[in-house]
Amino acid sequence: MTADAFLFWFLAALTIVSALSVVLMTNPIYSALSLAMTMVSVAAIFVTLQAYFLAGVQIIVYAGAVMVLFVMVLMLFDLKHELQAFTRGRFSGAFKIASIGSLAGLLVGAMYTANVLTVPEAASVANTTPKGAITPLAEELFLRNVFGFEALGVLLLVIAVGTVALSRSKGGTHARH
Amino acid sequence: MTSMGTTGFEITVNLIKTVLVFLMMVQAVPILVWLERRGSAFIQNRFGPNRVGPLGLLQLLADAVKFLTKEDFAPEKGNRFMFYAAPVFALIPAAIAYMAIPMSVPLKLESATFLIQGFEINVGIVFVLGISSLAAYTILMAGWGSGSKFSLMGAMRASAQIISYELALGLSIVGVILMYGTFNFNEMILQQQGPLSFQAFGYTVSTVALPNWGIFYQPVGMILFFAATFAESNRLPFDLAEGEAELVAGFHTEYGGFKMLMFFIGEYGHMMIASGLMATFFFGGYGIPYVSIQDVQNFGMNLFGSEIAANVFNTVVHFLMYNLKFGLFLWIFIHVRWTLPRFRYDQLMDLGWKTMLPWALANTMVTATVMFVTSYFMF
Repeated sequence: MTADAFLFWFLAALTIVSALSVVLMTNPIYSALSLAMTMVSVAAIFVTLQAYFLAGVQIIVYAGAVMVLFVMVLMLFDLKHELQAFTRGRFSGAFKIASIGSLAGLLVGAMYTANVLTVPEAASVANTTPKGAITPLAEELFLRNVFGFEALGVLLLVIAVGTVALSRSKGGTHARH
Repeated sequence: MTSMGTTGFEITVNLIKTVLVFLMMVQAVPILVWLERRGSAFIQNRFGPNRVGPLGLLQLLADAVKFLTKEDFAPEKGNRFMFYAAPVFALIPAAIAYMAIPMSVPLKLESATFLIQGFEINVGIVFVLGISSLAAYTILMAGWGSGSKFSLMGAMRASAQIISYELALGLSIVGVILMYGTFNFNEMILQQQGPLSFQAFGYTVSTVALPNWGIFYQPVGMILFFAATFAESNRLPFDLAEGEAELVAGFHTEYGGFKMLMFFIGEYGHMMIASGLMATFFFGGYGIPYVSIQDVQNFGMNLFGSEIAANVFNTVVHFLMYNLKFGLFLWIFIHVRWTLPRFRYDQLMDLGWKTMLPWALANTMVTATVMFVTSYFMF
């Protein structure tokens, strides 16, 4: 087995195990930390594909900022109630399995129909640009897809404003009337 | 990232190098602790540790023995797994991120070239910032795993602070990235060689008195970056994570012995990353002001008369220069800790979100505008 193949299988196994433990762990904090682990191992897979910038951004944005906030908020709560909700209840268990199944089905279906497993043309395009270069990515984002990119930014801004508005309204999201 | 080499010799050297950089980082910590204790004593007009060995230098050894032989204690109400995992994880991000910083001119030995850094990665800045931002997890794990309210509150404060200042930190170097046009540390350092010279409106402006360092182009970015790194490494005046008047000792209240020391190494590791980045971004990295890499090489050739000896000489001289700058910034870290008082928590958040973030944004925009105007309009 070559070093590349070993790296790929190791990282793939790590990603799958940590992704599975996100849903299989009973403690929400372990789940959140496993999700962070998944992000990091996906970033490592990006590195093996020589997409260094994507790997760095993946770590900075998801593992370094988003998941830290998740973990922080989870730790602030008294988790006894959540622990019960996570471990007990046939309905929630069935719901979890059903949602995992449908997501996995969606992914497999998308891969099957989109023919992503055969990419000779895309590979030849990638070979003409320098490996790990940021300019092609920037051109895609800021020239070709600039409208979609900006629209996503506005969407995120709307979400942020909406969250602040909700939390500042009477009683906030935890109001008990 | 360059590969680990093609021949067995190259691969072996590169593997040993990664271990060496890690050991260098870990071994620098006792020296820094000694420097910090003696330095603080000097600043506060005391003696500091001066009994064990010459100048108290063997105090480090005594401390290490003490830390290793202490009782291995874990709080009963805590989460044992998290409690033991946190200090180990505290070392990893700091060590990996530090390896990406170049410390000297690549060493050429006949056909092989060895970089004096753990590994080269093409998007060095993004990599270092990303990896070092993972340190927030260790603090949260320690705080939550300890099962004590002081630890948890300290961890909350620390991680909120780290996330807040990461924004200012990231934005403050966007100007630097724009200016150099690269994410690669080595290319940045090579661009800072020689005297200050730049092109504006079609003219070339150059001086002989100043080196071509980033600080002369990005002074605001430098100040913001340095201030933000203090917050990132949880040092005074931003050490709200500890705040011993309010929180006993913050997230490591329950830790003792070697586990505590590992957090220490992590904290000093972040200081080292910050000092290395300061030198690389704003002070020419391993470059020597007024002397080019080729000058040192020629001098070495005259001195030793052989190519390999000159290469080794060149690498060693630049390595010493890097360590001089590196040590200077580490000393500033220590000096600031013992001179400035601590912020209040709301002041800290105000400074991060309402002062440093807008200034960093403004710095980015001004840099971009100036770069565009000076390169597209000719007179």
